[in-house]
Amino acid sequence: MKSLRFILICLVLFFIIFPLFMMTKYSVSDRESIVTGGKYPEPFFPFSPTLEMFRALSARNDFVGAGFTSLWVGLLAVAFSLFLGAPTAFALARFKIPGLAVLLFFLLSVRLFPDISAVIPVAELLLSRPFSLLPPVVLVGLAHTLLALPYTVYIAKGVFESIPRDLEEQAHVLGAGKARTFLKILVPLALPGLGAAAIYTFFLSWNEFIFAYFLTFQGTETTLPVYLLRILAWSPQKNFISAISLVICIPVIVFTFLVQRYMKEGLTAGAVK
Amino acid sequence: MPSSIKPSYLLHRLKSNLFTIGFFIPAFLYLVSFFVIILVYLLKFSFSEGIPFLQLFSSTDFKAALWRTFWFMGVGTPLQLVVGLLLALLIQQSFKGVGAVRSLFMIPIAIPALVTAVIIDLVFSYPFGPINDLLLGRHGFFPQIINVPINWSGSEFLSLGLAILGKTWRDMPISMLILLAGLQTIEREQYEAARTMGARSWQEFKYLTLPLLTPAILTILILRSIENWKEFVFPFILAPAYPLLGVLIERLYHVEQNPALAASVALCLVALIGITTLVFTLITKMVRKYLVRI
Repeated sequence: MKSLRFILICLVLFFIIFPLFMMTKYSVSDRESIVTGGKYPEPFFPFSPTLEMFRALSARNDFVGAGFTSLWVGLLAVAFSLFLGAPTAFALARFKIPGLAVLLFFLLSVRLFPDISAVIPVAELLLSRPFSLLPPVVLVGLAHTLLALPYTVYIAKGVFESIPRDLEEQAHVLGAGKARTFLKILVPLALPGLGAAAIYTFFLSWNEFIFAYFLTFQGTETTLPVYLLRILAWSPQKNFISAISLVICIPVIVFTFLVQRYMKEGLTAGAVK
Repeated sequence: MPSSIKPSYLLHRLKSNLFTIGFFIPAFLYLVSFFVIILVYLLKFSFSEGIPFLQLFSSTDFKAALWRTFWFMGVGTPLQLVVGLLLALLIQQSFKGVGAVRSLFMIPIAIPALVTAVIIDLVFSYPFGPINDLLLGRHGFFPQIINVPINWSGSEFLSLGLAILGKTWRDMPISMLILLAGLQTIEREQYEAARTMGARSWQEFKYLTLPLLTPAILTILILRSIENWKEFVFPFILAPAYPLLGVLIERLYHVEQNPALAASVALCLVALIGITTLVFTLITKMVRKYLVRI
């Protein structure tokens, strides 16, 4: 049994690692390792590894521009969804609201639509006046807020629920109003949890393709995944495509590994409570 | 009694809860107004003049896409369940290095779907690519299986197969986590009791693990079938010549510039997802009843 499990785990790991290995390999490949002309099989390791593609990418204004667009869209989505979501989450966690279940359903209801269905009305709305006057970065940021906001509210609701009520009461006794208590006592305490929601939102936005694609279909300014698709249209070489792909993936992989520990701790802490 | 409540009392309550309402409103308004806008737009377009929604059912493109999506869902959903179950069973018991293996099993979900699709496209490239090289026997260690390179994107079966492969690869961790949570609710004692009564490991799996895991399995079936119905990115990149419903929506909107028809397909997709969810929920209820009877 044990050796069978070991073999199966190795197979699954191979299956998981293989595409990532190919991506990394292609991104550092030299020309001879890719353009074989059918004379010899593609080598499993490039003949002479090179960082040429990354150098070429860093010199391309459109690529660097797409990187910054992705960054700004992500930060905007984080700012919008925290600004809108944190107060709502607080209200849900603290105050007695009649018909809570119905309200929660309405909060999630927008996610009942598949992205590819929802994107048509959203694009029709945001690409017509007056919204079309806003810069594309803001439009995509608004769309990503729509995707992330329900999750932000849910995560933040859990965070606020884990903060003892006594703190608020004490602040109240000492003469702080509701708004002041929220801003000076609760928000600082909730910051680590809200940080988790922010990271989640940022990477949702960083990886998102459908809304960014529809909302930036006409213009030149776009996010990294859509940039990758546009590059594909001129069927460039494998090393160039792979280098772009790798640059998109690296921040997400690094963060997934870094945050995973805290995510697990968060999950177990929630379970004990 | 609502009739006995005075308006002034209601006003007072409203005033004292103004803070709560003010806090609650922003996100709520944002989400609900988008919900209403999306629904109204889809309905308005689908039932505008000429009723594009009804035109769909005489369109051969739509029928073909519907069938493909149906097969995509029908093959992808059980496959993703089996793969998720395998992964969950592999890391269920703790062993040396289980934490590292779990972390590695989580990688696919970190990779953007578009990137995954693009990499699969590269790996299965035609005529010269790693998989074709391998199958042609051009590497010494692997036997030759085919004589001419396979054009993966040239066949409906193969290109949609690649799209299912990509979808399965990328979403493995999701099914795995849900099934793992299900496995961990089964108590140790039940296995010990089974073993005392002489059950072998496959009997344990068949008579103990599988029935107790039924709720988690049904959850996966619902979630995965929804995901597969609405899939866009993988077939868009890997099978552009054989559009699924999602790809058809994009094509109608961008290439044919027909937002009304695109919205009709989009509405149809919403309806299909609704029906599937309903059917699976009914099945879940029936299975639960059946299980309780045992």
